Amino acid sequence: MQLVLSWPIRLLIIGLLIFSVGVDGAGYVYRAVNKYPLVGNVPNLPPNYFGWPLYIHKGLDLAGGTHIDYQLTNFPAGQSRADVQQRTVDVINKRVNSLGVSEPEIRGAGSQNDRITVDLAGVTADQAQRAIGRITKLVYAKWVPDDKVTGGPQPGYKPQLVGLTGDDIQSATPALDQNGVSWVVNMTFTSHGGDVFSKLTQDNVNACPGDPSLSQSANCAGRHLSIWLDLTQKDIDNWENPDYVGTVSRPWDAPQNATDPTPKFLTDPITQEQITGGQAVISGSFTQATANDLATGINSGSLPVTLLVLDVTQVGSTLGAESVKLSLAAGMLGLTIVVIFMIVYYRLPGFLASLALVFYAGAVFAVFKALPVTLTLAGITGFILSVGMAVDANVLIFERFKEEVRAGRTIPAAVDAAVRRAWPAIRDSNTSTLITCVILGFVGPAQVKGFAIVLGIGVIASLISSIIVTHNLLAIVLASTRFRRPALLGVDRARSS
Amino acid sequence: MLDPADETSGVSAEPEEEAEELEEEEPEEEPEEEEAKAEEPEPKVEKAPPRVRRLDIVGRRNWFFLISLLIIIPGIISMSTRHFLLGIDFAGGTEFTVSFASHPNVTKVEDAVSGMNIDGSVISTGSGGYIIRTPPLSPAAQKTVEDGLEKALGPMQLQQVLEVGGTIATETIEFALLAVVLASVGILLLLAIRFRNVPGGWRAGFQFGGSALAALLHDVFLLTGLFSIMGAVLGLRIGQIDSLFVTAVLTVVGFSVHDTIVVFDRIRENLRVSQRLSFEQVVNLSIMQTAARSIITSFTVVLVLAAILIAGGATLKGFALALLIGIISGTYSSIFNAAPLLVVWRRLQPVR
Repeated sequence: MQLVLSWPIRLLIIGLLIFSVGVDGAGYVYRAVNKYPLVGNVPNLPPNYFGWPLYIHKGLDLAGGTHIDYQLTNFPAGQSRADVQQRTVDVINKRVNSLGVSEPEIRGAGSQNDRITVDLAGVTADQAQRAIGRITKLVYAKWVPDDKVTGGPQPGYKPQLVGLTGDDIQSATPALDQNGVSWVVNMTFTSHGGDVFSKLTQDNVNACPGDPSLSQSANCAGRHLSIWLDLTQKDIDNWENPDYVGTVSRPWDAPQNATDPTPKFLTDPITQEQITGGQAVISGSFTQATANDLATGINSGSLPVTLLVLDVTQVGSTLGAESVKLSLAAGMLGLTIVVIFMIVYYRLPGFLASLALVFYAGAVFAVFKALPVTLTLAGITGFILSVGMAVDANVLIFERFKEEVRAGRTIPAAVDAAVRRAWPAIRDSNTSTLITCVILGFVGPAQVKGFAIVLGIGVIASLISSIIVTHNLLAIVLASTRFRRPALLGVDRARSS
Repeated sequence: MLDPADETSGVSAEPEEEAEELEEEEPEEEPEEEEAKAEEPEPKVEKAPPRVRRLDIVGRRNWFFLISLLIIIPGIISMSTRHFLLGIDFAGGTEFTVSFASHPNVTKVEDAVSGMNIDGSVISTGSGGYIIRTPPLSPAAQKTVEDGLEKALGPMQLQQVLEVGGTIATETIEFALLAVVLASVGILLLLAIRFRNVPGGWRAGFQFGGSALAALLHDVFLLTGLFSIMGAVLGLRIGQIDSLFVTAVLTVVGFSVHDTIVVFDRIRENLRVSQRLSFEQVVNLSIMQTAARSIITSFTVVLVLAAILIAGGATLKGFALALLIGIISGTYSSIFNAAPLLVVWRRLQPVR
């Protein structure tokens, strides 16, 4: 271990220190510049560090919110489960957006791609389940004349359900067209759906024949097939009411008032030609985002799987805040006890190790913010434990240091020998912990993973803090003979030369 | 608590001196170190002070094994006959964490709950807080319960609602078992590789690894067994197992090996430098030399955990207790079980 007194290493440490202080301090600078209170929760505070959002990400048990595990059942045959899962995740994401949750986490899980876990901060279980579990059914409608209709996508016409529904759609995916220029949505129908669709598009073309892009007469309402989510006959019966139509015909994902009718409109494309074979392309002036939205909308009404709620956890925000307060208090208390103990028992080296410990805590929190790592209660405990491990490495070195001094070494030589001889034990024990962390990170259940990541980061940082930082601090301080006094070093006697 | 170990460290004088002699022959010795030695020849070590009291841990190993077995065997019996008290996330069901502004007593809350025909149980968490656990309820039924409670007992704050099906539990436990097995194999291999260069080669390496593994399993069984006794036999709420408990067991796996490796590392070093001592003596010496560090480290962690146990929130108490037991057991097993076991193993299967 040729790490002491080597300036590149020291510069690296100083660099890391500045980085971590910067990361921790950036939030305060931002608050000061924008005249926010320096401490406490500021709603909608955009935390920024050179445009990089940096702040502690709190898990649900700390922030309060709802966690739901869904089981997917009734997978359709002949489709990749991973694809179906991903489409379902997209749909849930879209539905959750209406709740305005910051950073919703919706992940696929399960070894057979048959699970989805949803984490929503600040939402009650009731709200979440209503938004996600909303059963939507995609329906196709053609247009029939009705003079009294003044609003909607086709004034003068009202929709008529044609019996083609989400059940007949296999999938919808956004894609680039063959020229690779503009975005389209590709739709695949089931074989029954394809037959019905073929018949409907034939009727469309027969309504006003010709090429709609060339002749105006070929562009009539009867040539359109509109797609809706959850449009019912009751809605259609109200079509002559302009207010009602105005709301229902808004895009399905538009924001809504609870009292108004739900917006249900997806799209109303014109049929270019009869489409046989069950493959359709919806084109238009789509961007990637709008094509995505439309595909998700179609999938939303044609989810091939059934969502079964496995479990729901709702954590009140007060309980979360209480947990944060308690665990922070416990952490601070623990750290204080450790620092006092180290200083009383090991004197000057203990003081320097405590400085290294502060460096350690700063570095770890900087990494948490930068990665970012989502902190949960278990994660905080992992952090407290890793403090214990950081102390452990120091204790190993200091106990060794005392032995070396007793064996008659001079103090500087004893420091080097102590670090060198304690190293194999520190290396092996921390390697074993890292192995455990890696295994937990890969096979552990979700709650355990966060813990493993926190502990792993902590172990690595504790190695740096104890071996490099403490050692260098000791070497720098002990370069002056003034500090080589037995009383300061907590040893019985020492050779000072 | 710390003194005996500190006193005994005088014992190290003899092998330390030899260490210097041997190390000078090693080619990988760092040049800086050679210089240091050249200008400051090692002084004659003062004679070992008579105050040294040397504990013969290895000689009394059977007593220590007995103590461990006395705790572990009832635990295993309890685990196999009574199993565990399952926390909500393992048992399945619905759990409300609520607090009432009117601070009603338990009987009142129990009356209110039984009045709703939901087969619920009530646990007080202090200052008007209660945990009410019921079989799985639909969201509508949950609302009914919430409204019913509020009607019977006045303004209520709903802090947490948990609703769990049974499937998650089996999976969590399977994952955890898999993780413990994989971690054990990983640690066994790591130690075998690290210790294969002690006299005896790979066989000795696996003896070290195997003894560490035995100490690790000791801690896992002691912890799970005690929780089984506390939860299933004594019916204490703190003894219920949930996913946090699983996390605690896995942490203990990591921490227990920490202590053991420190002792083993010292044995490895002492084996190299003091060939005059018997294996038993080397092991005992190494235990004495590292005991101070093991106890101090565990002591600092125990202080932190005790703080959480006493002051922490209800959710964390069981977790802190599990870690506390596990870490004390880990320190005990590394000092009193792992190293003595190594001696026993060496006797049964000599490597030299």
